[in-house]
Amino acid sequence: MKISQAERMLNLLALLVDRNRPLTLRAVRQELGKQYPNSDEAARAAFERDKAALREMGIPIETKTLGGDSAGEVTYWVNRSNYELSDLKLSDDERVALQLAVATVRLGAQHGEEALWKLGGEKVLRPTAVSVNIGFVDQNMSSITTAVMQRRTLNFDYKGEKRQVDPYGMLSRSGFWYLIGFDHLRKDQRVFRVDRIEGKVTAGQMRSFKTPVGFDVAAAVPTEKQMMAAGEGELTTATVLVDAPLAAGVRNEFGDAAIIRERADGSIEFAIPCANMSAFRLWLFAMVESAEVLAPASVRRQVIQWLEELAVGK
Amino acid sequence: MPAKKPVKKAVPKKPVKKAVPKKPVKKAAPKKPVKKPAHQARRRGPRSAAQRVTGLLVMLPWIMQRQRVKISTMAKQFNLTEAELIEDLQMASVCGVPPYTPDALIDVYMDNGMVIAEVPLLFSRPLKLSTAELFAISVMAQTALQLPGANKKGPLSSALTKIAPLMPTGAETIKVELPRAKFVKELREAVATGERCDIEYFSPASQKRSKRIITARKVFEDAGRWYVAADDHQSGEDRIFRIDRIEQIKPIGIFDQLNEQDDQDQQWFSGKMSQVTLRVEPSARWIVESYPYISRVNKRIKNMDVVDITMSITSQDWLGRLLLRAGGGVKVVKPVEYQNLGKKAAKTVLDRYKKSGATS
Repeated sequence: MKISQAERMLNLLALLVDRNRPLTLRAVRQELGKQYPNSDEAARAAFERDKAALREMGIPIETKTLGGDSAGEVTYWVNRSNYELSDLKLSDDERVALQLAVATVRLGAQHGEEALWKLGGEKVLRPTAVSVNIGFVDQNMSSITTAVMQRRTLNFDYKGEKRQVDPYGMLSRSGFWYLIGFDHLRKDQRVFRVDRIEGKVTAGQMRSFKTPVGFDVAAAVPTEKQMMAAGEGELTTATVLVDAPLAAGVRNEFGDAAIIRERADGSIEFAIPCANMSAFRLWLFAMVESAEVLAPASVRRQVIQWLEELAVGK
Repeated sequence: MPAKKPVKKAVPKKPVKKAVPKKPVKKAAPKKPVKKPAHQARRRGPRSAAQRVTGLLVMLPWIMQRQRVKISTMAKQFNLTEAELIEDLQMASVCGVPPYTPDALIDVYMDNGMVIAEVPLLFSRPLKLSTAELFAISVMAQTALQLPGANKKGPLSSALTKIAPLMPTGAETIKVELPRAKFVKELREAVATGERCDIEYFSPASQKRSKRIITARKVFEDAGRWYVAADDHQSGEDRIFRIDRIEQIKPIGIFDQLNEQDDQDQQWFSGKMSQVTLRVEPSARWIVESYPYISRVNKRIKNMDVVDITMSITSQDWLGRLLLRAGGGVKVVKPVEYQNLGKKAAKTVLDRYKKSGATS
């Protein structure tokens, strides 16, 4: 009888789960009969291959080396409670809600669907009215998320330097994933762009650090608005007139508190932080000629000077 | 379900008056070939033993819970061809534990186009969720909860609460932030009903507002912005609009047939792109950090470390704005016809300052 490796693996797993007691390789071979080759050496090699493949799938095959009469012999078993997913008792509504979430949010990997099947759900095959695309294509992504969840210290190259980082958390914002953690090289908390990590990351032991109490991922990564306010400049705010079409967006970003005056044509004068002038310029010029600095005069002069330099192609 | 009959995005310029709102008229009139749905398009070589076993460990508990499912439905669900599914299930049905008598085998068989698994003897429970799976499902649920109009206290959030005990500590520090935009909710509803909308749209290229009539087809978020893909009845083309540039929206009571094309693999921003090579000086290094590029080369020119990056751009306006924002720290290497875009943008803005300076 010729038997495929897939079939043998499935039978081996069924045996280890069903017998619910440690078995030696000898016992396994007795039970599985001719599924393993006759020669001890070939049987051992095939068994090791199967075991490694099963473990790779996440099956917790446990081992113990015996003493006494059978000294040196190893036993193998699978503890059902470490293997099986407990029943979460999801209601039908909850399952449908998860199905829709998985259909709507694209992560670039199939893990969401797999989780759904295991939770007894089904992949939605119809198109959804809305979708969200969260970049997840980075080769290091799954090592990093695992390290965050298991609190393993990471090692990687970043901007040409070797970093050792305790990963406190991750944030997906505006199409990028950020990793926030304690950088042992800088001896301080730092933010890293995941897609700018060079080469492969390696992770250390589980639970090797503690995340500070009250750590907040969203707050740890400065927004454009915060960058503009976090400078050394003397002047901290500028009056910026934004034309009607873009005014709503700026209002959204800076809030009603930043509004100085709404004009009849729908344009709005805002008080915008400009302590960090280069961050301010980035923000301002993204609106091209739909925005204009009105005051203070020194900031207005500076903006005009930038424009003149560019216009002559300095 | 018309699984094998992809409904073409049928240029639905003829409005269907909404008599019975829940049953849109279906009219399959494919004119150009439609790409196959994702689950059929995937091409692979022969599957390894490990892949087959991994798949079975997910499929067996799933089918045992349901007891009877159509072969075709199940194959589609698990991204397999029917032949692959049958092959795998036939193999599983002869596996089990010694002495391999009928009552000691995995109870699964196929009959009359159905997969049947009525006695959950072996492999009736799924394997625990892996870290990657836990991460994926919680991030997806967390993100979906942030969508405009989502019920924050509904079944999705209670499902998350039930999953929470499985999460390793630290999982709560992984967060997704979605941008906010007005009208996402309204457009989402318009996609679901097929109702046309009047919109007022601001186009940065022309710096003008325009009124349009659109049928929204899909609302999506990409790289921090919301978009709506729609049939634009003015131009008769499929267009993509940035939702944050829509200023007004009004449904007008005309309903088009719904679009049922499977769009899982759709690339929204393909086509219409051109490539540019930019030389980035240290002062503008943020560009290298901020935008996806195709390739980069580090160089040393006139005692300065510069980076040449090649990237795809969608419009000259966008590039002009980028050059303006970079304030001289970026030069266009090629194509030459783009080299003046930054200058042009600066002059446009300067004109505004000159004008207002004269009057104020």
